Amino acid sequence: MEIDKEKCVGCGNCHAVCTMGAIYLEEDGKSVANQEECVECSTCYRFLRNEGYMPWLVRAVRKVLSAFRLGYLAKVDVCPTGALTPPELKWPRSIRAAFSDPIVVHPGTGIGGRGTEEIKCNEVTGRIRKGEAGLVVEMGRPGTGAYFRDIEKVAMALAPLGPFFEPKNPVIQLLEDPKTGKIKGEVLGEKVLSAIIEMKTSLERIPEILQALEKVQKEIDTVISVGVSSRCLADGTIPHMEWVRKAGYSLSPNGKTNIGLGRPRFQED
Amino acid sequence: MTNTLHRRGTRDSLKNDYVVFSLPARSVNAQGSAPKVQEFMRICLKYNPVNMGDGRHGNVLKDNVDIQEFIAQKKDGEMAAAVFTDMEAVQKVIAELIEADLGISINVSGLLEEVQTCCRKGGIERHSVEHSLGIWGAKDRLPERETLEVNTLCGHGLVSFNLIRKMVEYVKLRRLTAEEAAGTLAKCCECGVFNPVRAEQLLLKMVKKE
Repeated sequence: MEIDKEKCVGCGNCHAVCTMGAIYLEEDGKSVANQEECVECSTCYRFLRNEGYMPWLVRAVRKVLSAFRLGYLAKVDVCPTGALTPPELKWPRSIRAAFSDPIVVHPGTGIGGRGTEEIKCNEVTGRIRKGEAGLVVEMGRPGTGAYFRDIEKVAMALAPLGPFFEPKNPVIQLLEDPKTGKIKGEVLGEKVLSAIIEMKTSLERIPEILQALEKVQKEIDTVISVGVSSRCLADGTIPHMEWVRKAGYSLSPNGKTNIGLGRPRFQED
Repeated sequence: MTNTLHRRGTRDSLKNDYVVFSLPARSVNAQGSAPKVQEFMRICLKYNPVNMGDGRHGNVLKDNVDIQEFIAQKKDGEMAAAVFTDMEAVQKVIAELIEADLGISINVSGLLEEVQTCCRKGGIERHSVEHSLGIWGAKDRLPERETLEVNTLCGHGLVSFNLIRKMVEYVKLRRLTAEEAAGTLAKCCECGVFNPVRAEQLLLKMVKKE
Protein backbone atom coordinates (compact mmCIF):
# COMPACT_ATOMS: atom_id res chain seq x y z
CA MET A 1 0.00 0.00 0.00
CA GLU A 2 1.11 3.50 -0.66
CA ILE A 3 0.07 6.62 1.20
CA ASP A 4 -0.26 9.87 -0.72
CA LYS A 5 1.86 12.39 1.17
CA GLU A 6 -0.04 15.29 -0.39
CA LYS A 7 -3.29 13.99 1.05
CA CYS A 8 -2.26 12.41 4.37
CA VAL A 9 -3.15 14.47 7.44
CA GLY A 10 -1.48 12.10 9.90
CA CYS A 11 -4.62 11.05 11.77
CA GLY A 12 -3.03 7.63 12.39
CA ASN A 13 -6.20 5.59 11.83
CA CYS A 14 -4.43 3.30 9.38
CA HIS A 15 -1.68 2.40 11.87
CA ALA A 16 -3.79 0.10 14.05
CA VAL A 17 -5.69 -1.39 11.12
CA CYS A 18 -2.52 -2.58 9.39
CA THR A 19 -2.33 -6.37 9.80
CA MET A 20 1.46 -6.25 9.93
CA GLY A 21 1.87 -3.06 11.99
CA ALA A 22 3.79 -1.69 9.00
CA ILE A 23 2.36 1.86 8.95
CA TYR A 24 3.94 4.56 11.09
CA LEU A 25 4.17 8.32 11.42
CA GLU A 26 7.21 10.02 9.91
CA GLU A 27 8.88 13.12 11.28
CA ASP A 28 6.86 15.29 8.90
CA GLY A 29 3.68 14.17 10.68
CA LYS A 30 2.46 12.01 7.80
CA SER A 31 1.96 8.28 7.69
CA VAL A 32 4.08 5.94 5.63
CA ALA A 33 3.90 2.20 4.93
CA ASN A 34 7.09 0.19 5.37
CA GLN A 35 7.23 -1.52 1.96
CA GLU A 36 9.39 -4.36 3.25
CA GLU A 37 6.80 -5.33 5.88
CA CYS A 38 3.56 -4.48 3.99
CA VAL A 39 1.96 -7.67 2.62
CA GLU A 40 -0.48 -5.84 0.28
CA CYS A 41 -3.56 -7.27 2.00
CA SER A 42 -5.39 -3.93 1.35
CA THR A 43 -7.28 -4.20 4.65
CA CYS A 44 -6.50 -0.53 5.41
CA TYR A 45 -7.85 0.55 2.01
CA ARG A 46 -11.10 -1.42 2.33
CA PHE A 47 -11.74 -0.80 6.02
CA LEU A 48 -11.10 2.95 6.14
CA ARG A 49 -13.86 4.85 4.38
CA ASN A 50 -12.66 7.77 2.32
CA GLU A 51 -14.40 10.83 3.78
CA GLY A 52 -13.22 12.87 0.83
CA TYR A 53 -12.24 16.02 2.72
CA MET A 54 -9.74 18.43 1.25
CA PRO A 55 -6.41 17.98 3.09
CA TRP A 56 -5.91 21.75 3.52
CA LEU A 57 -9.33 22.03 5.16
CA VAL A 58 -8.62 19.24 7.67
CA ARG A 59 -5.24 20.76 8.51
CA ALA A 60 -6.75 24.25 8.92
CA VAL A 61 -9.55 22.99 11.20
CA ARG A 62 -7.02 21.15 13.32
CA LYS A 63 -4.83 24.23 13.60
CA VAL A 64 -7.77 26.30 14.80
CA LEU A 65 -8.83 23.62 17.29
CA SER A 66 -5.30 23.24 18.66
CA ALA A 67 -5.11 27.00 19.21
CA PHE A 68 -7.94 26.53 21.67
CA ARG A 69 -6.27 23.39 23.07
CA LEU A 70 -8.99 21.25 21.52
CA GLY A 71 -8.64 18.15 19.44
CA TYR A 72 -10.80 16.37 16.89
CA LEU A 73 -11.17 12.64 17.24
CA ALA A 74 -12.05 11.07 13.90
CA LYS A 75 -14.12 7.87 13.70
CA VAL A 76 -11.90 4.80 13.76
CA ASP A 77 -12.99 3.53 10.36
CA VAL A 78 -12.26 6.54 8.17
CA CYS A 79 -9.41 7.99 6.19
CA PRO A 80 -10.45 11.69 6.18
CA THR A 81 -8.75 12.52 2.89
CA GLY A 82 -8.56 9.21 1.00
CA ALA A 83 -4.76 9.11 1.18
CA LEU A 84 -4.43 5.33 0.89
CA THR A 85 -3.48 4.40 -2.66
CA PRO A 86 -3.24 0.76 -3.77
CA PRO A 87 -0.25 0.52 -6.11
CA GLU A 88 -0.10 -1.46 -9.33
CA LEU A 89 1.90 -4.50 -8.31
CA LYS A 90 4.45 -6.15 -10.54
CA TRP A 91 5.99 -9.60 -10.21
CA PRO A 92 7.30 -10.78 -7.79
CA ARG A 93 5.70 -8.25 -5.41
CA SER A 94 2.27 -9.12 -6.85
CA ILE A 95 2.52 -12.45 -5.05
CA ARG A 96 2.02 -10.59 -1.75
CA ALA A 97 -1.53 -9.60 -2.72
CA ALA A 98 -2.28 -13.02 -4.23
CA PHE A 99 -1.58 -14.66 -0.87
CA SER A 100 -2.67 -11.92 1.52
CA ASP A 101 -5.76 -10.29 0.02
CA PRO A 102 -8.76 -12.66 -0.07
CA ILE A 103 -10.44 -10.45 -2.67
CA VAL A 104 -7.65 -11.12 -5.17
CA VAL A 105 -8.23 -14.29 -7.17
CA HIS A 106 -5.06 -16.34 -7.05
CA PRO A 107 -3.83 -16.96 -10.61
CA GLY A 108 -2.80 -20.53 -9.70
CA THR A 109 -6.05 -21.71 -8.07
CA GLY A 110 -8.72 -19.55 -9.67
CA ILE A 111 -10.17 -18.77 -6.22
CA GLY A 112 -9.60 -15.96 -3.77
CA GLY A 113 -7.16 -16.39 -0.90
CA ARG A 114 -4.21 -18.63 -0.31
CA GLY A 115 -5.69 -22.10 -0.09
CA THR A 116 -7.58 -24.80 -1.93
CA GLU A 117 -10.73 -26.85 -1.35
CA GLU A 118 -8.80 -29.45 0.71
CA ILE A 119 -11.36 -31.55 2.69
CA LYS A 120 -14.18 -29.08 2.23
CA CYS A 121 -15.41 -30.85 -0.90
CA ASN A 122 -13.88 -34.23 -0.11
CA GLU A 123 -17.08 -36.19 -0.63
CA VAL A 124 -17.13 -35.12 -4.30
CA THR A 125 -13.42 -34.69 -5.10
CA GLY A 126 -12.01 -37.67 -3.16
CA ARG A 127 -8.91 -35.65 -2.39
CA ILE A 128 -8.27 -37.38 0.95
CA ARG A 129 -9.16 -41.07 0.68
CA LYS A 130 -9.37 -44.03 3.05
CA GLY A 131 -6.07 -44.58 4.82
CA GLU A 132 -4.81 -41.10 3.99
CA ALA A 133 -4.25 -37.96 6.04
CA GLY A 134 -4.26 -34.39 4.83
CA LEU A 135 -1.83 -31.98 6.46
CA VAL A 136 -1.94 -28.20 6.24
CA VAL A 137 1.00 -26.19 7.47
CA GLU A 138 -0.02 -22.55 7.47
CA MET A 139 2.93 -20.26 7.95
CA GLY A 140 2.59 -16.72 9.30
CA ARG A 141 -0.77 -17.37 10.91
CA PRO A 142 -1.93 -15.98 13.27
CA GLY A 143 -1.14 -12.33 12.60
CA THR A 144 2.61 -12.58 12.09
CA GLY A 145 3.21 -12.96 8.35
CA ALA A 146 5.85 -15.09 6.69
CA TYR A 147 8.69 -14.62 4.23
CA PHE A 148 9.07 -17.22 1.52
CA ARG A 149 12.61 -17.86 2.73
CA ASP A 150 11.06 -19.30 5.93
CA ILE A 151 8.39 -21.15 3.98
CA GLU A 152 11.17 -22.74 1.92
CA LYS A 153 12.94 -23.98 5.08
CA VAL A 154 9.80 -25.86 6.10
CA ALA A 155 9.11 -27.17 2.58
CA MET A 156 12.70 -28.44 2.37
CA ALA A 157 12.39 -30.18 5.74
CA LEU A 158 9.20 -31.96 4.63
CA ALA A 159 10.08 -32.81 1.02
CA PRO A 160 12.61 -35.61 1.79
CA LEU A 161 9.81 -37.50 3.58
CA GLY A 162 8.02 -37.77 0.24
CA PRO A 163 4.53 -36.50 1.04
CA PHE A 164 2.20 -35.87 -1.89
CA PHE A 165 2.23 -32.11 -2.25
CA GLU A 166 -1.15 -30.84 -3.47
CA PRO A 167 -0.44 -29.53 -7.00
CA LYS A 168 -3.30 -26.98 -6.90
CA ASN A 169 -1.91 -25.36 -3.77
CA PRO A 170 -0.40 -21.88 -4.42
CA VAL A 171 2.80 -22.58 -2.43
CA ILE A 172 3.37 -25.90 -4.17
CA GLN A 173 3.07 -24.11 -7.50
CA LEU A 174 6.05 -21.98 -6.46
CA LEU A 175 8.30 -24.99 -5.82
CA GLU A 176 11.19 -25.37 -8.23
CA ASP A 177 11.17 -29.08 -7.48
CA PRO A 178 8.71 -30.87 -5.14
CA LYS A 179 11.41 -33.45 -4.38
CA THR A 180 13.65 -30.85 -2.73
CA GLY A 181 11.07 -28.32 -1.53
CA LYS A 182 13.15 -25.52 -3.01
CA ILE A 183 11.14 -22.40 -3.87
CA LYS A 184 11.74 -20.16 -6.88
CA GLY A 185 14.53 -17.75 -5.96
CA GLU A 186 12.80 -14.56 -7.08
CA VAL A 187 10.06 -14.84 -4.43
CA LEU A 188 12.18 -15.73 -1.38
CA GLY A 189 12.34 -12.09 -0.22
CA GLU A 190 8.58 -11.59 -0.49
CA LYS A 191 6.42 -11.48 2.63
CA VAL A 192 2.79 -12.64 2.83
CA LEU A 193 0.13 -12.59 5.54
CA SER A 194 0.14 -16.37 5.50
CA ALA A 195 0.79 -19.25 3.14
CA ILE A 196 -0.22 -22.88 3.35
CA ILE A 197 1.91 -25.89 2.51
CA GLU A 198 -0.70 -28.53 1.75
CA MET A 199 0.08 -32.23 1.44
CA LYS A 200 -1.23 -35.71 2.04
CA THR A 201 0.37 -38.88 3.24
CA SER A 202 -0.64 -42.25 4.64
CA LEU A 203 -2.06 -42.16 8.18
CA GLU A 204 0.86 -44.07 9.68
CA ARG A 205 3.31 -41.44 8.43
CA ILE A 206 1.68 -38.62 10.41
CA PRO A 207 4.18 -38.95 13.32
CA GLU A 208 7.13 -38.71 10.96
CA ILE A 209 5.84 -35.51 9.33
CA LEU A 210 5.05 -33.92 12.70
CA GLN A 211 8.50 -34.77 14.03
CA ALA A 212 10.11 -33.09 11.00
CA LEU A 213 7.96 -30.02 11.65
CA GLU A 214 8.88 -30.07 15.32
CA LYS A 215 12.51 -29.87 14.35
CA VAL A 216 12.32 -27.16 11.69
CA GLN A 217 10.00 -24.85 13.69
CA LYS A 218 13.01 -23.73 15.73
CA GLU A 219 14.75 -22.41 12.62
CA ILE A 220 12.07 -20.00 11.46
CA ASP A 221 11.12 -16.49 12.51
CA THR A 222 7.36 -16.86 12.34
CA VAL A 223 4.48 -18.93 13.65
CA ILE A 224 2.80 -21.92 12.05
CA SER A 225 -0.78 -23.13 12.42
CA VAL A 226 -0.91 -26.86 11.79
CA GLY A 227 -3.97 -28.89 10.76
CA VAL A 228 -4.62 -32.55 10.05
CA SER A 229 -7.60 -34.18 8.36
CA SER A 230 -8.95 -37.51 7.20
CA ARG A 231 -12.02 -39.17 5.78
CA CYS A 232 -14.18 -40.61 8.56
CA LEU A 233 -15.05 -44.29 8.85
CA ALA A 234 -18.64 -45.41 8.32
CA ASP A 235 -19.42 -44.97 12.03
CA GLY A 236 -18.01 -41.43 12.09
CA THR A 237 -14.68 -42.35 13.71
CA ILE A 238 -11.83 -40.00 12.77
CA PRO A 239 -8.85 -42.16 11.73
CA HIS A 240 -6.09 -39.56 12.14
CA MET A 241 -6.80 -39.05 15.85
CA GLU A 242 -5.08 -42.27 16.84
CA TRP A 243 -1.93 -41.43 14.88
CA VAL A 244 -1.68 -37.87 16.14
CA ARG A 245 -2.02 -39.07 19.74
CA LYS A 246 0.53 -41.82 19.15
CA ALA A 247 2.94 -39.12 18.03
CA GLY A 248 2.36 -37.31 21.33
CA TYR A 249 0.35 -34.31 20.15
CA SER A 250 -2.99 -33.07 21.39
CA LEU A 251 -5.97 -32.24 19.21
CA SER A 252 -8.27 -29.24 19.40
CA PRO A 253 -11.84 -29.81 20.67
CA ASN A 254 -13.09 -27.80 17.70
CA GLY A 255 -12.44 -28.27 14.03
CA LYS A 256 -14.01 -28.48 10.64
CA THR A 257 -16.57 -31.10 9.67
CA ASN A 258 -17.57 -31.83 6.10
CA ILE A 259 -21.05 -33.24 6.62
CA GLY A 260 -21.05 -34.96 3.22
CA LEU A 261 -23.99 -33.42 1.35
CA GLY A 262 -22.21 -32.76 -1.98
CA ARG A 263 -23.18 -34.63 -5.16
CA PRO A 264 -22.18 -36.59 -7.18
CA ARG A 265 -20.32 -38.60 -4.55
CA PHE A 266 -16.76 -39.58 -5.34
CA GLN A 267 -16.56 -43.36 -5.59
CA GLU A 268 -13.42 -44.94 -4.21
CA ASP A 269 -12.18 -48.20 -5.78
CA MET B 1 -8.44 -22.67 2.79
CA THR B 2 -8.16 -23.33 6.50
CA ASN B 3 -10.04 -20.18 7.44
CA THR B 4 -12.24 -21.40 10.24
CA LEU B 5 -10.08 -24.27 11.47
CA HIS B 6 -7.82 -22.49 13.93
CA ARG B 7 -10.33 -20.55 16.03
CA ARG B 8 -8.89 -20.54 19.50
CA GLY B 9 -10.55 -20.61 22.87
CA THR B 10 -11.67 -22.74 25.76
CA ARG B 11 -14.37 -25.35 25.21
CA ASP B 12 -16.76 -23.07 27.07
CA SER B 13 -16.00 -20.06 24.90
CA LEU B 14 -16.27 -22.13 21.71
CA LYS B 15 -19.76 -23.23 22.66
CA ASN B 16 -21.21 -20.09 21.10
CA ASP B 17 -19.18 -20.10 17.91
CA TYR B 18 -20.22 -22.10 14.85
CA VAL B 19 -19.61 -21.38 11.19
CA VAL B 20 -21.68 -23.15 8.56
CA PHE B 21 -20.47 -22.73 5.00
CA SER B 22 -21.12 -24.05 1.53
CA LEU B 23 -18.53 -24.53 -1.17
CA PRO B 24 -19.08 -25.93 -4.65
CA ALA B 25 -16.15 -28.01 -5.93
CA ARG B 26 -14.57 -26.22 -8.90
CA SER B 27 -13.92 -29.33 -10.94
CA VAL B 28 -17.17 -31.16 -10.10
CA ASN B 29 -20.31 -29.21 -9.29
CA ALA B 30 -19.49 -25.49 -9.51
CA GLN B 31 -21.40 -25.04 -12.74
CA GLY B 32 -24.97 -24.06 -11.99
CA SER B 33 -24.23 -23.75 -8.26
CA ALA B 34 -25.32 -20.10 -7.83
CA PRO B 35 -29.01 -20.82 -7.07
CA LYS B 36 -27.96 -23.58 -4.65
CA VAL B 37 -25.64 -21.28 -2.72
CA GLN B 38 -28.36 -18.62 -2.70
CA GLU B 39 -30.78 -21.16 -1.23
CA PHE B 40 -28.14 -22.11 1.33
CA MET B 41 -27.94 -18.45 2.39
CA ARG B 42 -31.72 -18.13 2.58
CA ILE B 43 -31.92 -21.19 4.81
CA CYS B 44 -29.20 -19.83 7.09
CA LEU B 45 -30.86 -16.43 7.23
CA LYS B 46 -34.03 -17.93 8.74
CA TYR B 47 -32.12 -18.88 11.89
CA ASN B 48 -30.65 -15.46 12.73
CA PRO B 49 -26.95 -15.76 11.95
CA VAL B 50 -24.78 -13.10 13.61
CA ASN B 51 -22.72 -12.67 10.44
CA MET B 52 -22.75 -13.82 6.82
CA GLY B 53 -20.55 -13.29 3.82
CA ASP B 54 -18.15 -14.62 1.26
CA GLY B 55 -14.66 -13.85 0.05
CA ARG B 56 -15.84 -12.10 -3.11
CA HIS B 57 -18.45 -9.58 -1.93
CA GLY B 58 -17.45 -9.06 1.70
CA ASN B 59 -19.66 -9.45 4.76
CA VAL B 60 -23.16 -8.31 5.61
CA LEU B 61 -22.05 -6.24 8.62
CA LYS B 62 -20.47 -3.61 6.40
CA ASP B 63 -22.31 -0.32 6.00
CA ASN B 64 -25.42 -0.22 3.79
CA VAL B 65 -25.58 -3.90 2.82
CA ASP B 66 -28.98 -5.14 1.67
CA ILE B 67 -29.05 -8.84 2.53
CA GLN B 68 -31.42 -9.83 -0.30
CA GLU B 69 -29.28 -8.00 -2.86
CA PHE B 70 -26.22 -9.62 -1.33
CA ILE B 71 -27.73 -13.08 -1.86
CA ALA B 72 -28.96 -12.27 -5.37
CA GLN B 73 -25.48 -11.35 -6.62
CA LYS B 74 -24.01 -14.81 -5.92
CA LYS B 75 -22.45 -16.46 -8.95
CA ASP B 76 -21.52 -20.02 -9.86
CA GLY B 77 -18.60 -21.43 -7.88
CA GLU B 78 -18.75 -18.93 -5.02
CA MET B 79 -18.77 -19.96 -1.37
CA ALA B 80 -20.95 -18.53 1.39
CA ALA B 81 -20.69 -18.63 5.18
CA ALA B 82 -22.97 -17.93 8.14
CA VAL B 83 -22.04 -17.65 11.82
CA PHE B 84 -24.28 -18.88 14.64
CA THR B 85 -23.96 -18.59 18.39
CA ASP B 86 -26.04 -21.55 19.50
CA MET B 87 -26.14 -25.21 18.70
CA GLU B 88 -29.92 -25.29 18.51
CA ALA B 89 -29.87 -22.98 15.49
CA VAL B 90 -27.09 -25.01 13.87
CA GLN B 91 -29.13 -28.16 14.40
CA LYS B 92 -32.10 -26.61 12.61
CA VAL B 93 -29.94 -25.28 9.77
CA ILE B 94 -28.35 -28.70 9.22
CA ALA B 95 -31.73 -30.44 9.32
CA GLU B 96 -33.11 -28.06 6.72
CA LEU B 97 -30.01 -28.36 4.52
CA ILE B 98 -30.32 -32.16 4.58
CA GLU B 99 -33.97 -31.82 3.61
CA ALA B 100 -33.18 -29.31 0.84
CA ASP B 101 -30.57 -31.68 -0.66
CA LEU B 102 -28.79 -28.90 -2.56
CA GLY B 103 -25.97 -31.18 -3.74
CA ILE B 104 -23.14 -28.82 -2.77
CA SER B 105 -20.62 -29.44 0.01
CA ILE B 106 -21.57 -28.13 3.45
CA ASN B 107 -19.05 -27.78 6.25
CA VAL B 108 -19.47 -26.80 9.88
CA SER B 109 -16.67 -25.41 12.03
CA GLY B 110 -17.10 -25.69 15.77
CA LEU B 111 -16.93 -28.16 18.62
CA LEU B 112 -16.61 -31.49 16.82
CA GLU B 113 -18.66 -33.62 19.19
CA GLU B 114 -21.56 -31.18 19.06
CA VAL B 115 -21.47 -31.08 15.27
CA GLN B 116 -21.44 -34.87 15.12
CA THR B 117 -24.50 -35.00 17.36
CA CYS B 118 -26.23 -32.57 14.99
CA CYS B 119 -25.42 -34.76 11.99
CA ARG B 120 -26.73 -37.87 13.72
CA LYS B 121 -29.94 -36.14 14.75
CA GLY B 122 -30.39 -35.32 11.07
CA GLY B 123 -29.83 -38.96 10.16
CA ILE B 124 -26.40 -38.63 8.54
CA GLU B 125 -22.83 -39.47 9.52
CA ARG B 126 -20.03 -36.92 9.03
CA HIS B 127 -17.81 -37.45 5.99
CA SER B 128 -14.44 -35.83 6.77
CA VAL B 129 -12.95 -33.99 9.70
CA GLU B 130 -10.04 -31.62 10.17
CA HIS B 131 -8.41 -30.82 13.53
CA SER B 132 -6.10 -28.00 14.50
CA LEU B 133 -2.84 -29.01 16.12
CA GLY B 134 -2.36 -25.49 17.42
CA ILE B 135 0.35 -22.94 16.90
CA TRP B 136 3.99 -23.89 16.39
CA GLY B 137 7.16 -21.93 15.70
CA ALA B 138 8.06 -18.49 17.08
CA LYS B 139 5.25 -18.28 19.62
CA ASP B 140 7.05 -15.51 21.49
CA ARG B 141 5.83 -13.20 18.72
CA LEU B 142 2.20 -13.73 19.68
CA PRO B 143 0.05 -11.43 21.82
CA GLU B 144 -1.98 -12.27 24.94
CA ARG B 145 -4.56 -15.07 24.79
CA GLU B 146 -7.77 -13.06 24.39
CA THR B 147 -6.32 -10.92 21.59
CA LEU B 148 -5.36 -14.12 19.81
CA GLU B 149 -8.86 -15.51 20.28
CA VAL B 150 -10.38 -12.44 18.64
CA ASN B 151 -7.77 -12.41 15.84
CA THR B 152 -8.44 -16.05 14.91
CA LEU B 153 -12.14 -15.33 14.41
CA CYS B 154 -11.06 -14.04 10.99
CA GLY B 155 -9.39 -16.90 9.15
CA HIS B 156 -7.48 -14.64 6.80
CA GLY B 157 -5.98 -12.73 9.73
CA LEU B 158 -7.38 -9.38 8.59
CA VAL B 159 -8.26 -8.23 12.13
CA SER B 160 -4.94 -6.93 13.38
CA PHE B 161 -3.65 -7.37 16.92
CA ASN B 162 -3.26 -3.57 17.16
CA LEU B 163 -6.84 -2.84 16.12
CA ILE B 164 -8.10 -5.27 18.77
CA ARG B 165 -5.99 -3.49 21.40
CA LYS B 166 -7.27 -0.12 20.16
CA MET B 167 -10.87 -1.33 20.50
CA VAL B 168 -10.17 -2.47 24.08
CA GLU B 169 -8.88 1.05 24.79
CA TYR B 170 -11.95 2.63 23.17
CA VAL B 171 -14.30 0.50 25.24
CA LYS B 172 -12.37 1.36 28.39
CA LEU B 173 -12.61 5.07 27.59
CA ARG B 174 -16.30 4.66 26.67
CA ARG B 175 -15.73 5.99 23.19
CA LEU B 176 -17.45 2.85 21.90
CA THR B 177 -19.57 0.17 23.51
CA ALA B 178 -18.18 -3.36 23.39
CA GLU B 179 -20.88 -4.21 20.84
CA GLU B 180 -19.88 -1.31 18.59
CA ALA B 181 -16.20 -2.18 18.93
CA ALA B 182 -16.87 -5.82 18.00
CA GLY B 183 -18.94 -4.66 15.02
CA THR B 184 -16.06 -2.46 13.92
CA LEU B 185 -13.64 -5.40 14.06
CA ALA B 186 -16.10 -7.56 12.11
CA LYS B 187 -15.93 -5.18 9.16
CA CYS B 188 -12.30 -6.16 8.52
CA CYS B 189 -13.15 -9.82 7.95
CA GLU B 190 -14.09 -10.16 4.29
CA CYS B 191 -15.56 -13.68 4.35
CA GLY B 192 -18.06 -12.91 7.10
CA VAL B 193 -16.86 -15.71 9.40
CA PHE B 194 -16.01 -13.31 12.25
CA ASN B 195 -18.30 -13.82 15.25
CA PRO B 196 -19.10 -10.34 16.65
CA VAL B 197 -21.00 -11.73 19.64
CA ARG B 198 -18.04 -13.79 20.83
CA ALA B 199 -15.72 -10.87 20.07
CA GLU B 200 -17.87 -8.60 22.24
CA GLN B 201 -17.61 -11.02 25.16
CA LEU B 202 -13.85 -11.26 24.72
CA LEU B 203 -13.47 -7.46 24.54
CA LEU B 204 -15.41 -7.09 27.79
CA LYS B 205 -13.20 -9.71 29.39
CA MET B 206 -10.08 -7.82 28.30
CA VAL B 207 -11.46 -4.51 29.56
CA LYS B 208 -12.14 -6.00 32.99
CA LYS B 209 -8.75 -7.66 33.08
CA GLU B 210 -6.81 -4.47 32.44
